[in-house]
Amino acid sequence: MTEFDPEKFEDKYVHYFNELQRAYKNAFNYMNERHDSQVIHAIDQQVLNESEPFYDGNGEFRIELPDDPADRVQGVVVADDKLEELLEAYVERIESELRRVFGLQSSN
Amino acid sequence: MSTETQEDGDDLEERVSNFLRRNFPQIQMHGGSAAIQNIDRETGEVTIMLGGACSGCGISPMTIQAIKSRMVKEIPEIEKVNADTGMGGGGGGMSPSFPGETSDDGDDEGPQAPF
Repeated sequence: MTEFDPEKFEDKYVHYFNELQRAYKNAFNYMNERHDSQVIHAIDQQVLNESEPFYDGNGEFRIELPDDPADRVQGVVVADDKLEELLEAYVERIESELRRVFGLQSSN
Repeated sequence: MSTETQEDGDDLEERVSNFLRRNFPQIQMHGGSAAIQNIDRETGEVTIMLGGACSGCGISPMTIQAIKSRMVKEIPEIEKVNADTGMGGGGGGMSPSFPGETSDDGDDEGPQAPF
């Protein structure tokens, strides 16, 4: 497990690139197993490619998405509310995978 | 007008290529590829195409963001990085892309370096 240093996270793509990839990939696999694969792929490729993770302190991460993320999803058939729900679940999963990758999960 | 030489551009392409190879060996390790599609020396804009396994395995978002964030810092001439996985609006299946697929410009092509 990688020891987390908030200061190093400022330069995350240099210091924590592999960890970020792992967290995103774990979240992708988790979502892909449970939901429509085409929609998950589309979110991965069309929304998350412009996303950025931030560390908010207290073991919490925040994923910033581009503006109007749902509008960016093209080429798949999915209801708007379903898409919003999947986006939210996906982002939550990435945040929790980040906590896991860095060993910041609370014990209870 | 200053005379920007061709060599200048080739050197830039080489540096971009070396930058990717040096800093992102993971792309290859994951069975993917990164090819320089286009470099606009006037605007400082470079277009990178991630292909192969990178276009749909969950690791491309951070790869793209890392390339964008680091390349503009480490190569001063580069102002903007466009990185694409070739799956813009598709969503249907994998479409492996081949490096060197540049279609319309054939004027000053440097050697393609797929890795």
